[in-house]
Amino acid sequence: MDSRNILIIGGGVAGMEAAKQLYRLGYRPVIVEQSDHLGGHVAGWFKLFPDMLSASDLISQMEEGLDGVDVYLKTRVASMNRLKDGFSVVLSNGTGLLCQAVLIASGFNLFDASRKEEYGYGVYDHVITNADLEQWFRTGADPRVPEEPSTIAFVHCVGSRDLKAGNPQCSKVCCMTAIKQAIEMKEKFPQAEVWCFYMDLRLFGKKYEDFYINAQRDYGVHFVRGRVSEVSEDIDGKVMLKAEDTLAGTQVKLKTDLLVLMAGMLCNEDTSSLAAMVRASVDSDGFLRSRDNIYRINESSRPGVFFAGACTGTKTVPETVAEARAAALDIHNYLSGND
Amino acid sequence: MRERFASGFDPFVLPFLIGMIFVLGYCLFGIVRILFQLSREDRRRFLLSLVTPRTALKNIWDIFANCLLHVKLWKRNRMLGFMHSSIAFGWFMIILLGHIEVMIYCPERVRLLYYPIFFNYFVAENESTIGGAVLFFLMDFFLLLILTGITLAVIKRVRSRIFGMRRTTRPSALDRVGLYSLWAIFPLRLLAESFTAHISGGSFLTIPANWVFRQFLGNDLNMLPTWWAYSIVLGVFMVVLPFTRYMHIPAEMMLIPMRNAGLRIRHPRKGFAKVQVLSCPGCGVCIDACPMSVQKKNIKDCTVYLNRQIRRGNEKRIEEISDKCLLCGKCQAVCQVGVEGPKLRVAQRSARRYGLTPDYSGLDVSGLKEAARGGKVLYFSGCMTRLTPSIGKAVTSVLGKAGVDFVWMDRDSGLCCGRPLLTAGRIDAALGLIRKNEEIILSSGADTLLLSCPICYKIFTERYSLPGVRVVNYADYFNELIQQGRLKLSKSDICYVYHDPCELGRGCGIYDSPRRLLGQAAGIAEAPASREESICCGGSLGSLTLDFKDREAMTRKSLDNLYASRADAIATACPLCLATFSRYSERPVRDLAEILDSSSD
Repeated sequence: MDSRNILIIGGGVAGMEAAKQLYRLGYRPVIVEQSDHLGGHVAGWFKLFPDMLSASDLISQMEEGLDGVDVYLKTRVASMNRLKDGFSVVLSNGTGLLCQAVLIASGFNLFDASRKEEYGYGVYDHVITNADLEQWFRTGADPRVPEEPSTIAFVHCVGSRDLKAGNPQCSKVCCMTAIKQAIEMKEKFPQAEVWCFYMDLRLFGKKYEDFYINAQRDYGVHFVRGRVSEVSEDIDGKVMLKAEDTLAGTQVKLKTDLLVLMAGMLCNEDTSSLAAMVRASVDSDGFLRSRDNIYRINESSRPGVFFAGACTGTKTVPETVAEARAAALDIHNYLSGND
Repeated sequence: MRERFASGFDPFVLPFLIGMIFVLGYCLFGIVRILFQLSREDRRRFLLSLVTPRTALKNIWDIFANCLLHVKLWKRNRMLGFMHSSIAFGWFMIILLGHIEVMIYCPERVRLLYYPIFFNYFVAENESTIGGAVLFFLMDFFLLLILTGITLAVIKRVRSRIFGMRRTTRPSALDRVGLYSLWAIFPLRLLAESFTAHISGGSFLTIPANWVFRQFLGNDLNMLPTWWAYSIVLGVFMVVLPFTRYMHIPAEMMLIPMRNAGLRIRHPRKGFAKVQVLSCPGCGVCIDACPMSVQKKNIKDCTVYLNRQIRRGNEKRIEEISDKCLLCGKCQAVCQVGVEGPKLRVAQRSARRYGLTPDYSGLDVSGLKEAARGGKVLYFSGCMTRLTPSIGKAVTSVLGKAGVDFVWMDRDSGLCCGRPLLTAGRIDAALGLIRKNEEIILSSGADTLLLSCPICYKIFTERYSLPGVRVVNYADYFNELIQQGRLKLSKSDICYVYHDPCELGRGCGIYDSPRRLLGQAAGIAEAPASREESICCGGSLGSLTLDFKDREAMTRKSLDNLYASRADAIATACPLCLATFSRYSERPVRDLAEILDSSSD
């Protein structure tokens, strides 16, 4: 067994997969995760598109590969200093580590939907986010979701592609998530009318388009191209929304029982302080800057510092997993070259 | 007393005389021209105000206090106040005393413009008489005062920071000519009077100077050249005056009576607007005050440069500057002369012609009228509140707790108050909306119109005609509810710093009422810059061209000022400030209504 440590910051799918691969390659990966569980955002999800795979199954499957890997939960990186051949790391629990390489897999933050106050998240009783809905799928406990909704509406691009919200880029996964969740809701409440308000539908991945066609043909989900302009609440607590149907050239007024906001992805707010510790650079979109965005996405501009997953930009789960494996191999090559 | 020259003339007075006649003629012509540019009604109003004893007295007092003593400037900055008032008041007194001298000693010469100025050259009086001693002492005293002021002015030019000014304007080439000739006038007068002091008398300044000069310049040949020099710089100053920023000296004397007569800017360049532009002294106080000046690229977009570009007729820059401004009104609040920067800009915007002017006269408001009926109080939340629905929710919740019989007029749908159109200079379109809203409100049967948005409140108080309906801001109204005992509060432990929204504070003059309300519901702290000095949040609807990146820098600056108060959270009374601050604030931001709602029961 090689005694060389590799620090992995973040225990989401990227960190877990990279740790597993590095461990198999004979290194000693150490995962530092700030929350109390592994799996990151995926752990809060119910089913994953396009195969409708159970997220908890995926996480437990991934966890099995981590036997023998050191995992520090509820821990943060307090400091990192570059040494001649590696990094001296101090964790928030006081542990000191010497490691030869650092993999940043700190992922993303979900956009705080209450910042788009016009959609009434946190103000009205029946407005939730995509993450809240997944939570409700898993636990069934959320007073904001009515017993028998007759109308459900989804708003795409909440805090993505929105200059006013300070986040101009596309979050990539929300279009597909909205369609997936619309179908899931329709399966639970076949009588309900489900509406999606979108700017564009960006359905680039394998089987995504099929989902979109199924949602319309088999489930009768309504798609309206246009942004929601305002949301209010009527006397019996129902959500009233006004939107523009840009294809029909008319205004739409809709009374719904549940409004779901597709909150977008922002870079994890701690990432910039992490980057500063190892003097990696941050891009104009707030995400970490790779050496290039085509061939060396996993590499930072500093030797021994690597990236995986959504810390460099918005990504889907399969992309993240693939990147984590690539990063593990990059680190292996880097350390072999050092020998 | 004796006159030294029977003719009472010497060629050296000519430069002064030419300058004086030129500047008097120029100003006279200008006054007549501006009077003709005013609308018939405005002209009548203005001329009438000049002969109405009350306004006439007010005019005299305002001119004395602002143009000579610079009372407003004293309050803001003592060093600058002293500098300006010493020069202005001192000069005025020297001219006045000169006339008194002429009137006492040779009243037949009083018609000669130059006699009071060059009195000491033409008349030999002795300080041993009581009249001479007093007058000469006063003359020297005021000359000393001016010289102190000029010294300060020279220091300020080199190091403006000593006077608390971070940035100041760059004077143009002609401004420099005016500036240097102004500086030269008074030292030259001292020299000229010193050389003649043993003939014409002098006092504590001129007699010792005369004695010193006589020790090494033993003859009187220096006398005439210095009087020539004194006359020449006076002449130069007066000839360039109309083309420099020193035009503000005569223009302000016109601005004050026009403002007191209640005139408004009706044309972007003519009449009252022209007087305002000419009254700008170019001091640059508005540069540091302007919220846009956090970015270096916007420094040349503040009011002082607008005035300069209007004087130069640079249409491209005028449009740029006028469109960019947030209309926060801070430049006007700090302006010593009271140039209405925001109104001047709106006037420029209104000169633009659009291909299409919306016509709202055909708008069917019968549904809206129906929805507005049935309450004593009509609550109008406005468009901005749709982006911050928590405010509308909190206001209606508070009204419900107090048992107010109210109707939410634009709950489902409503018309815009018209203010965004007005600030864009589209006055006719705005009036179209205003007329429709008036129709809805007057037919509702309510006697009170309650507003939670200061943007709406400003236009409702200024442009709407609603006989029998009281227009009230929610801060005032909630204070009344508390006074009447209809609303019970329990004070929370959170300490808030109150941000004065531009539209409510500088726009409508409401500063105390929100603070009183907040003080009863929670703890309250003051930011370093507050009330009239409050810094715009950067979200203002006023700007037509600023983008989000530019605005972010302003929002952060405004937030830094609020953070400095060390309060836990930020309170404001405007939906736009709330939305803008929430975007970047590290501390919670809440509207007055939300705070009141959570601490009432």
